[in-house]
Amino acid sequence: MTELIQIVVGGIMQGSIFALLAMGFSLVYRVTGVINLAQGGFCTLGALLGFSMQSRLGLPPALAALGAVLVTSAFAALVGRVTFVPGLSRLTNSNMLMMSAGLLTLFEGLVLVVWGSQPYALPPFSGERPIAVAGLLLPTQGIWVMGVTFVIIVGLWYMLARTRLGQSLRACAENPTAARLVGVDVARMQLFSFVLAGAIGAVAGVVVGPAISLQFDTGRLLTISGFVAVAIGGIASFPGAIAGGLLLGLVGQLATAYVSSLFSNALALGLLLIVLIWRPSGLIRGAAGRRQDVRDEARVWTHVTRLSARTAWIGAFVLLVAGLVLPWVLDAGLLGALIITLILFITLIGLDVLMGYGGQISLGQAGFMAIGGYAAGYFTTAHDWPPVLAILAGIGISLVCAMILAGVTLRLRGLYMALATLAFGLLIDSCAIGFDDITGGPSGLVGIGDFDLFGFAFDTPLRMYYLVLGVVVLVLVAMAGAMRSGFGRALQAIRTDPLAAAALGVNVVGCKMAAFAISAVLASLAGSLYAFQFHFLSPDMVGTPRSLELVSMLVIGGEGTLLGPLLGSALLTVLPTAFQPLALYKTLASGVLLAGCSLYLPQGMFGALTRVLRR
Amino acid sequence: MSALRVQNLSKRFGGLLATNDVSFDVAEHSLTALIGPNGAGKTTLFNLITNLFAPDSGVVEFNGISLAGLSPGRIAKMGLIRTFQTARVFPGMTVLENVLCGRHRLLGHGLFENMMWLPGARAEERRLATQALALLDLVGLADQAERSATDLPMGAQKLLEVIRALMAQPRLLLLDEPAAGLNDTETAELASLLRAVRACGVTVMVVEHNMSLVMTIADHVVVVEAGGLIAAGPPSEIQVNPRVIAAYLGEEPV
Repeated sequence: MTELIQIVVGGIMQGSIFALLAMGFSLVYRVTGVINLAQGGFCTLGALLGFSMQSRLGLPPALAALGAVLVTSAFAALVGRVTFVPGLSRLTNSNMLMMSAGLLTLFEGLVLVVWGSQPYALPPFSGERPIAVAGLLLPTQGIWVMGVTFVIIVGLWYMLARTRLGQSLRACAENPTAARLVGVDVARMQLFSFVLAGAIGAVAGVVVGPAISLQFDTGRLLTISGFVAVAIGGIASFPGAIAGGLLLGLVGQLATAYVSSLFSNALALGLLLIVLIWRPSGLIRGAAGRRQDVRDEARVWTHVTRLSARTAWIGAFVLLVAGLVLPWVLDAGLLGALIITLILFITLIGLDVLMGYGGQISLGQAGFMAIGGYAAGYFTTAHDWPPVLAILAGIGISLVCAMILAGVTLRLRGLYMALATLAFGLLIDSCAIGFDDITGGPSGLVGIGDFDLFGFAFDTPLRMYYLVLGVVVLVLVAMAGAMRSGFGRALQAIRTDPLAAAALGVNVVGCKMAAFAISAVLASLAGSLYAFQFHFLSPDMVGTPRSLELVSMLVIGGEGTLLGPLLGSALLTVLPTAFQPLALYKTLASGVLLAGCSLYLPQGMFGALTRVLRR
Repeated sequence: MSALRVQNLSKRFGGLLATNDVSFDVAEHSLTALIGPNGAGKTTLFNLITNLFAPDSGVVEFNGISLAGLSPGRIAKMGLIRTFQTARVFPGMTVLENVLCGRHRLLGHGLFENMMWLPGARAEERRLATQALALLDLVGLADQAERSATDLPMGAQKLLEVIRALMAQPRLLLLDEPAAGLNDTETAELASLLRAVRACGVTVMVVEHNMSLVMTIADHVVVVEAGGLIAAGPPSEIQVNPRVIAAYLGEEPV
């Protein structure tokens, strides 16, 4: 019994962390309608700033904490002013989601440059020794977290319910246009909510930091936990955020105690998927429902990115020749990077069909790469299957998963698809770590052989390169054919106006399913090739960070253009290899590029290039 | 047989009875106009017919087949094609691609044939492009084919939407205020286009505010007011119907 109470108390402590994270999400979402993935980035930044102010500047802990929160808020104000608020008036909600993913990457990159990649253990506020109360051992930091969460909940509630500022914020949440008409400075309120969320994030980071191990990409994990918590509880209400956080904490602790820590994530995600199917808007609904599709109408589509037929053919020829000649002029390191570029490009073509053409956001594409990769590795090493058969098996499994996931997500409009795919990717992550008999667990699957076809082994980098190039060309030709025919047009029609598309007899669900299936097949194929290229596969090579990186590559390169993603893939793969000293700045640069491209180059680098070529 | 038969259709939105026991027939090969003052429930009727929302009671039959429970996509596949009150061209696509979207329901070649660039599939695409350009030429938009559809002025976008619907080879075409936002020249183009469409054997039903257009092209007029049907008949009768004059046309009949 004591044990159970101990676990429940631990769950509530863990849950208050999630609730604290979730409130930041809920605040920004209620005022702007955007899910701000950068929320976890504020936490890491706040925690590490507090740590440095204490250890480097020698400030007393309380002053360091205050300083950390202030500096983080100031930074949030700058970032919000330059990117987030301008984006609100011109981007769709899904593009805002992508931009906030860019901001998260930007925060990570910044932390990586300033604090490096090593983990930090922050000192607890009141010593390491837990307090014993009625036979229970309570870590002091947990009590701090619960206390701070409580204070913030009360403070936020008071501000929103009892002050004029709170009224204005709520007015923006319910109807921005009407709020503007009665004299509320909506842009300022949006900025304020972003900065306040940043401050909450920083406070969360400062108090939570000592309870966890902190490194540059912890923000991502915090973002995901908070995001899952609000999705479970209901993003449009604070009680929902709090309830979701506590529930997630409890489920996680109970699962760790009674099942296995490896599967506690899987259980939490299972919970999320159930909630998404059963009650897409979360357990507790907000007072004012926000329509997912409101801002999508305002999106400015100024350009149609089409090269003239002549330019396209010449370009394709030049690219093909370059592709054939390149390996003879590159050194081994760059050739390796080029192979990876092309393998990722295969995934990106699928993602582009799904996101760029079809407008469905997937944040779990690496999950299909993982399925393909592990299937290829496992079946060839453990069962001596021929590689081609193993690849096909991977594709089959991916297709089954994709169709199940499509059954869940296609009922959900807008950002729920992003959420469900994110949950899928995370689920695959924990399976990759958990099923260590098949995947080799955290340390990875070793000893994967060479790819061979009818006895011909692709055992040199050069052979592997031409194999991958061949696959890329085939996939590109097929997709170019598909995109310039009825299917491609139907997808683009669905992207902007599913209703009008249906009124012309387009099978909306069928087309989305097909796009999702194509993306899963290509990702799975790429994952298999990836495994054969490295002869090794570990969870972090095909995990959720990879999914987010794929989205960055797509947006930077140019979504909705078949060749664009190649630019994004090359930029983020070849450049860090070619200029090793710059590798440290890769994350920061990709964050800046992703946020910048969403704002200023809606069709990415390729779109900009096309405009130049058409002049 | 009637192309479209609407029987006792009703729809309530909260306290508002948007459609109240409406019944009418649209004869095959006719051009029927649906008129009524603002807020009379004309667009709601269109939305009920195409099942954008389900009616509370009543039946819609298209060529003798009940449309109850069918998705808008299925209804379109049967040849009942509609346009929208505000032009809904697809952004991010060219004018030509927009028109080609119209033919989606009748494409003979599927995804895999196009992935493999089979000659038949390519030939179909080329044939459709020629047809689409010919249709665009009818409203003077052929030279704009490669432009982004949303770059067109509003009037041209409305015409483009009509052309896109025609590309779908409808058996029954429902047009929701096609002349709204069109200038006089464009309205005249639209009128001759609609006459030509009817001459091809397509049944047309049109919601329209432009009375001179309605009275010159329609051979049957259905009048609704406050959700209910108040008159139906040929234009000459409608023009002198006292209830219609009181409800809609005002003191001076057109």
